[in-house]
Amino acid sequence: MDIIELSWPRLLIAFLALLIPAYIFWKFETGLNRKLLLGSLRMTLQLLFVGYYLEYLFEYDNSWVNLAWIMVMVIVADFATIDRSELNPKISLILPIFGATFLGILMINFFFLELVIQLPTFLGAQYAIPITGMVLGNCLQSNVIGINDFYYNLRQNRERYQFYLAAGATRAEALFPFYQSALKKSANPTLATMATIGLVSLPGMMTGQILSGTSPMIAIQYQIMIMLAIFTGTILSVYLGINFSNRFVFHNNDMLDESILKEES
Amino acid sequence: MPYLKAENLTFSYGEETIFQNFTLSVSEGERVALKGRSGIGKSTLFKLILGFERPQSGTLYFRDEPIAGSRIRHIRGETAWLPQDLNMGNGAVRDVIERPLNFRRNRERQPNKEALHSLMDSLGLTSALLTKSWAQLSTGQRQRMGIVVCLLLNKPLLLLDEPTSALDRTSREKLRDLLFADRKRTILSTSHDDFWLKLCDRTIDLDQKRIQP
Repeated sequence: MDIIELSWPRLLIAFLALLIPAYIFWKFETGLNRKLLLGSLRMTLQLLFVGYYLEYLFEYDNSWVNLAWIMVMVIVADFATIDRSELNPKISLILPIFGATFLGILMINFFFLELVIQLPTFLGAQYAIPITGMVLGNCLQSNVIGINDFYYNLRQNRERYQFYLAAGATRAEALFPFYQSALKKSANPTLATMATIGLVSLPGMMTGQILSGTSPMIAIQYQIMIMLAIFTGTILSVYLGINFSNRFVFHNNDMLDESILKEES
Repeated sequence: MPYLKAENLTFSYGEETIFQNFTLSVSEGERVALKGRSGIGKSTLFKLILGFERPQSGTLYFRDEPIAGSRIRHIRGETAWLPQDLNMGNGAVRDVIERPLNFRRNRERQPNKEALHSLMDSLGLTSALLTKSWAQLSTGQRQRMGIVVCLLLNKPLLLLDEPTSALDRTSREKLRDLLFADRKRTILSTSHDDFWLKLCDRTIDLDQKRIQP
């Protein structure tokens, strides 16, 4: 099947569609049009930058350069996680969450790229960069949900934690119900997506592949693998993120350093 | 040798001084009740003993060794604590009760199911409550469930915050029989209940202690 190339003038026509939400925002005096303009500009410029950069990465295709780019993506995701969570940006959280996300991504990449797809070159750009991006984007959301839930739930139910400690629990034993809750909350969005994918929505990656000429069955095979990578990656990064952070945010009497949390309102 | 000792303990929450050069000594097997007005520091003393709070100065001793560092975990292994209003979130009642019994340190104390049911029955709790969420229990039911956990754990030191405040006369008598049968068990409690205060070997009035540090 021939690919219909999307020219720049045609892409400009696509922007005209934004006039509809802009009109609706204006009519209801939402004040969102400035945000819409800035958001659209940022989205376009960021993607153009990434597009040019990826072209360079694909052409150069060096494993070390690709690894460095993955690290940059993880650093941005790390700061975005802390920023979107309701936690204070302290080094005792930033470093462990970075370490957990980076380790999680490396494990996912190694398993899915090297063992499942079996790339001819280690961390080949064409596969490693988009798959890392897909997994990281989802890890970000799950990390925010999971880490927030873990620490705020611990503050809210401090007495439950203390009751277990007083009954002889190790710190890990006393934290067990808080892990349970954080994992459930962070897994639910991806589990819900997995249950309805294909019926309610067609995922972006698969749609993109089909539009660019790939056969639907190959696109679906990749999509299944991507969903498995996303789910494994999100749970792994939430689990490692909490585990790594816990090494730095507890006093030696097992009490949480509550300065990592925003003030109770 | 005192079983539990506080020596010149000073503790404040911000500007508010709770203890100033506070001293206390409890022997093994002794049943001591603390009384005093609300906010005087009865519950805080338990949190200091369990290492959840740290004194600004002074030392707490358990079996003549300071409660600090890894010794904090040692005393927690020997203790069962009943807070006044046991808030365990939305966990299932059975899970809340059974979880502490499965902690590594407590496994050898694992009771049989009959002990759980007979203890619940003694305190006027039906087995149907086990399937509920903790949040669905009344304050009194939570407190009695907390007592059941403390009894099942069978620890040598009990720290009980107002253990009889939600119990009727019959349940209080049953609690007395259950708790006071073991003469070796040390019980430090807070209470305003004359029935309970009379059962204890000694009552310490914290209002008086504050005036005379």
